[in-house]
Amino acid sequence: MPKNGMLVRITLVVAAVAILAAVAVGTAGASHKARSATAIKGAGSSFVAPLVNAWINPVSSIGISLSYNPIGSGGGVSAITTKGVDFGASDAPLSQFSPTCTTCVQIPWALAATAVVYNLPGLPFLKMNGSTLANIYLGKIKNWNDPAIKKLNSGRNLPDKAITVVHRSDSSGTTFNFTDYLSSVSKTWKSQVGNGTAVSWPTGIGGNKSAGMSAAVKSTPGAIGYVDVDYAVVNHLGYMKMRNRTGKFVVPRLKGILAAAQLQTHPAKDGSLSIVNPPKSKKYANAYPIATYTYVDVQKASGANAAALKKLIGWAITKGQTYGPKLFFAPLPKPVVTFDKKQIQKIHS
Amino acid sequence: MHLGDVLLQGAAALASLGAVALVVLIVYKVVEGARLSLSTFGLGFVTHVGWDPVHLKFGAGSFLFGTAITSLGALILATPLAIGIALFLTELAPAGIRGPVTALVETLAAIPSVVIGLWGILVLAPLLRDHVDPALHSALGFIPLFGPATYSANVFTAIIVLTIMILPIISSISRELFLGVPSELKEGALGLGTTRWEMVRGVVFPYTRGGVAAAMILGLGRALGEAIAVAMVIGAFTGISWNLFNPGNTLAAMIALNYQGASSGLELSSLIYLALILLVFSILVNLLAQLIVRRVARRQGLAST
Repeated sequence: MPKNGMLVRITLVVAAVAILAAVAVGTAGASHKARSATAIKGAGSSFVAPLVNAWINPVSSIGISLSYNPIGSGGGVSAITTKGVDFGASDAPLSQFSPTCTTCVQIPWALAATAVVYNLPGLPFLKMNGSTLANIYLGKIKNWNDPAIKKLNSGRNLPDKAITVVHRSDSSGTTFNFTDYLSSVSKTWKSQVGNGTAVSWPTGIGGNKSAGMSAAVKSTPGAIGYVDVDYAVVNHLGYMKMRNRTGKFVVPRLKGILAAAQLQTHPAKDGSLSIVNPPKSKKYANAYPIATYTYVDVQKASGANAAALKKLIGWAITKGQTYGPKLFFAPLPKPVVTFDKKQIQKIHS
Repeated sequence: MHLGDVLLQGAAALASLGAVALVVLIVYKVVEGARLSLSTFGLGFVTHVGWDPVHLKFGAGSFLFGTAITSLGALILATPLAIGIALFLTELAPAGIRGPVTALVETLAAIPSVVIGLWGILVLAPLLRDHVDPALHSALGFIPLFGPATYSANVFTAIIVLTIMILPIISSISRELFLGVPSELKEGALGLGTTRWEMVRGVVFPYTRGGVAAAMILGLGRALGEAIAVAMVIGAFTGISWNLFNPGNTLAAMIALNYQGASSGLELSSLIYLALILLVFSILVNLLAQLIVRRVARRQGLAST
């Protein structure tokens, strides 16, 4: 019994010390917080993650401590709908999700392209068109030396190698952009598969988020996949020149993205825009056909963090855009910035 | 009665009632969440192969198939290995290394599944694709299970990952069981002039049969429900293929990959329907385990295991 009593006393003392320590740390943390930055948490699109990560340092100078978790567009919309984060980021408009965030304001805050990446060492910048790409993803074209691919790349030495199709296994805005494009170039794709943040893939393997997709393509000889251009560059993956409707083969770089962005510069009422596969016209001669706006989604009633969020997004759509080009994000067109500023005003505490 | 006794009884009863209530509530919430999908697809959902969020046609067929083939495969590979480990640690290993090896095998159980999954993607999958899969195909290609190997993320990789994850469960329970065999029986057998193997076969195995079966079922339960590690290596493809070197998907992995950002209420409800199927599956497996243990115990006339 005395032994037990001793134990009880020791436990009580330890517990008391722990509680005191917790209180001390808590109050110290609180007072520290009051003087330093407001913490803003975001989650969502892995496509836009390189740009958001580049913002983390500069926004600390305007008093914001930004953290971002690239869990995929679907995850981001879920997280903001349940108010688990301060903002969600998605490459697909909110209307593509159900359940979706009905109390959110949707703000296009970045502009970039989806690169078609592949793993064939020694064969950079292969040329590709929409119908052939659709046939690859439909499982109809199975080998890299298929006549359709050869025809587009005359003079290149295409290997006799099986194509491994890679797609996203999670709910993804990049998938939405990519299948949106495939639906616009292939009737079979449109009727059989359709477009969405997740679809019923006729063939291939799934990679989880942009990082998983990049890893799968990188580690599988003969693989083909689709990711934001920056992932392609960082992971040293080859990406394709895509044929646009004027017949030109375009790389997913700034010039091609900006040309495509002219297709729609005034967002719809809900803030969404679509710039996939611009029509045949001189205006779009340099347009890259698989480009997309990507969105930040914020609860209109954002509580205590509303002011900081407004500051952050206001900064992102103006100054933040200058961090884009290095990461293959094109600056937002002026009308979109004007629209965004109005959208930001809808956020309140 | 003492006040202490009353308090103890009350607290214990409350705790156990809480556990029961929790199970009932979980089942209720899952059924409620799946209701939309249940009323749309009915029981046909269970066998329908396909998952099409665009045309709103969902079914569990391919995931049930994937779950069954990965967990059975893992069980078939893990059981002999685990029993071997347990026998080594109880009967054969020199006393000095028993402790360390036991600790190491048990550490295997403590590795988080996401770490095993990551290792599976980065190390195991390329290794299997380049060396093991093609070798198996050329040696056993006449069996449809070992078809042409092209993908690194495939069902076979998932089976190996699951094998590693359930190995420590089966082996540590088996070890405890083997240790529990009365030494008079073992010594008696050895005293009659049996070899060590004959002793193991004649005394240790029959004595622990029920318990080992239960350990296998526990391992199977773990394999059925494992989501993250499987999701990372299996390749997330919806469809049925007997070739182990093709990608596939399981119930748990499908739920883990897609519950965030479902594109429609029906898809979300269908994912919960998958959870319901998994729940029913797991409960059946658990009941089966209890049944086996009870039957074997009765046959032996021993309540030892």
